[in-house]
Amino acid sequence: MLQRNKAVEVSGITKRFGSLIAVDNVSFDVMEGEIFGFLGPNGAGKTTLIRMLTTLIKPTSGEATVGCCDVTKQPAAVRREIGVVPQAMTSDLDLTGFENMDIYARFYGISSKERKDRIPYLLETVGLSARANELVAAYSGGMRRRLEIARVLVHRPKILFLDEPTIGLDPQSRRVVWDFLRKLMEEASITIFITTHYMEEAEMLCSRVAIIDSGRIVVIGSPKELKSQIPGNDIVSLAVENLTDILVDRVNHLPFVHKVNTEDGNVRIYVDHGAQDLPLLIDEVKSSGGKVLSATVHEQSLEDVFIHYTGKSIREEEGKKVSFLVGAGIPQKWGR
Amino acid sequence: MRSDGLRVLAVIERDLKKFRRNPLVIAMSVLLPLIYLVILGHSFQGKLQALPLVVANLDSGPYSRNVMDNLRAVEAGPKTFSLVIVGNEKDAIDGIRRGKYKAGLIIPPDFSKRVALKGRPEVGLFLDNTDGISSEAVKNAVMGGLRSIRSDYVSIRDKSDEILLRDITLYKQVDYYESLVPGVVIMAIFLGTLTTGAFNIVMDRFLGVDESYLLTPLSKSDIVAGLIISGLFITTIIAVVILAVSMLMTGIHFSRSPQQFASILLIIILTTLCLLSLMFVILGRINHPRVVGILSGFLNVILFFPSGAVYPIASFPQWLKTFAKINPEAYAVDALKGLLFKGADLASIATDIAFLLVFTMVMMTTAIMTFRRTL
Repeated sequence: MLQRNKAVEVSGITKRFGSLIAVDNVSFDVMEGEIFGFLGPNGAGKTTLIRMLTTLIKPTSGEATVGCCDVTKQPAAVRREIGVVPQAMTSDLDLTGFENMDIYARFYGISSKERKDRIPYLLETVGLSARANELVAAYSGGMRRRLEIARVLVHRPKILFLDEPTIGLDPQSRRVVWDFLRKLMEEASITIFITTHYMEEAEMLCSRVAIIDSGRIVVIGSPKELKSQIPGNDIVSLAVENLTDILVDRVNHLPFVHKVNTEDGNVRIYVDHGAQDLPLLIDEVKSSGGKVLSATVHEQSLEDVFIHYTGKSIREEEGKKVSFLVGAGIPQKWGR
Repeated sequence: MRSDGLRVLAVIERDLKKFRRNPLVIAMSVLLPLIYLVILGHSFQGKLQALPLVVANLDSGPYSRNVMDNLRAVEAGPKTFSLVIVGNEKDAIDGIRRGKYKAGLIIPPDFSKRVALKGRPEVGLFLDNTDGISSEAVKNAVMGGLRSIRSDYVSIRDKSDEILLRDITLYKQVDYYESLVPGVVIMAIFLGTLTTGAFNIVMDRFLGVDESYLLTPLSKSDIVAGLIISGLFITTIIAVVILAVSMLMTGIHFSRSPQQFASILLIIILTTLCLLSLMFVILGRINHPRVVGILSGFLNVILFFPSGAVYPIASFPQWLKTFAKINPEAYAVDALKGLLFKGADLASIATDIAFLLVFTMVMMTTAIMTFRRTL
């Protein structure tokens, strides 16, 4: 394989908001031309991290180089090289799709000639040509998301950051976005950095994934590598009545079982051939005094990698604390 | 069991909870009426004091000295005016025209002689009648001073020897209705600058769309200057329309020289820039339109009422006078009054222009410095 350059180089980056450590000593590299994913539950620090890398907030400590330059020392130079699709929809509702693109392009000082060529092409690419002259207020969520993506490509960024690019989209729109991103990476050889809490998205899209939990990187690798680190191929999940430690221990000692863990009355059993092993497992539970209420068998996914490394499933993080002045409109320094 | 009638309680509770969690709103709803009380209570119908009265005493006789003594007594006692003595009539009248003095008393060379010879003595009082409230107050105080001369020295004479106060109005009469026009224009500028410029940033933050341009190479000064210029454009148009309409409504006659128009436009533009940059400093870090609503009431009361737009600054207590000295709206009102009612030239409103310019530059620099280009 060709020697590739680093597009993003992060070392020991940390962000504190008061006593909360949103991002805790995170280091990683992203190579040019790859789709790098940050996978983690809501509240894990993904957005804070992306905001530091895109110059929107200053790190408390640590360093990050994005494209040519250091994000704290030369933020303006970094901004010229990157395109960012934030999690929130940021198109101006009072302007049309075309006007949004045009004004944004002028923020980068792109000539009117180039704008005339590039904007209709990008709108066509994301399938918004027919609605280009309507106010964005009349767009659906999916259309607005596609406009956001088209908009950040207007200045031909070298590195594209997308924060939860498909959040709230229906499966069909999600697939459109994925195809588009993959095409971008292949044809325009753009480096893409995405954050997501959708396992499937990370698995489908990313060449490498960093799993992040509570502000820390748990593990980094390609989806394939990460999955290969978990014992077995399949996971059998059993909901069991009268679950006891003895029962778990007996299941764990079956010769074909690699690993067992429990979460809220559910037993997750790591095996090689789930469908084949399921009847044997049910029998074992029965003979140990338990009762199987339901059972599922699935192939290992990144979700299981996450559970393997963090001991919990990707869950909704409990709500963040809010400064008492928030409703009064005083800006609060709190990460999302 | 469902109790439908109690659903209203949930609406009430929700509203009360939201109110309780907004300390700034609570504080301001208590403070604002009290601020109105203090500011309005001291900016209307107060006793006018220390109105600048220029005196040119061209008579060296004893009776004019007597008049001067009486005037000094008023200056020391009721303090209606403060005296400035000049040597000739021209300096006095020029001073009034330039807005330095509210009125000018001219004691003619033959004053004492006429008093002694029962020769119908008279003095001339030049009045800046564009400020009816102040000029009326000066006139009454001067008249009081002259009356006591008569009672002391002229009491036994017959009525024909009364000193005649000839008051000369320097300008076309301005009634109270018309005199509010400059204030109304400044009010239009205030509202214009509050809803353009920095307000756009507040709304962008509120809607969370500010990220879209903070992520671009736009610099702080690009953002601040861009919004100030667009706000200037919108507000200037509003102010000019308000000026034209209010002049038609009140029937102000106005010399239509292009220079006068240009000067008025200059003041409108300067005032707009001044208030736009002030708003940028104040609203620079606010992220909720509710705060702008609260601040608009607060800023209006502290800037507008002590500006001299509705009642002369001379009637204010000292602390409010001091505040008026740093209130840009006071300078703007003064300049517009001069241009609209006195046909003033730029030189005579140079102080106003200088203040507005300096204020604008200071605020603009502060705005750019304090504006945060990060979230």
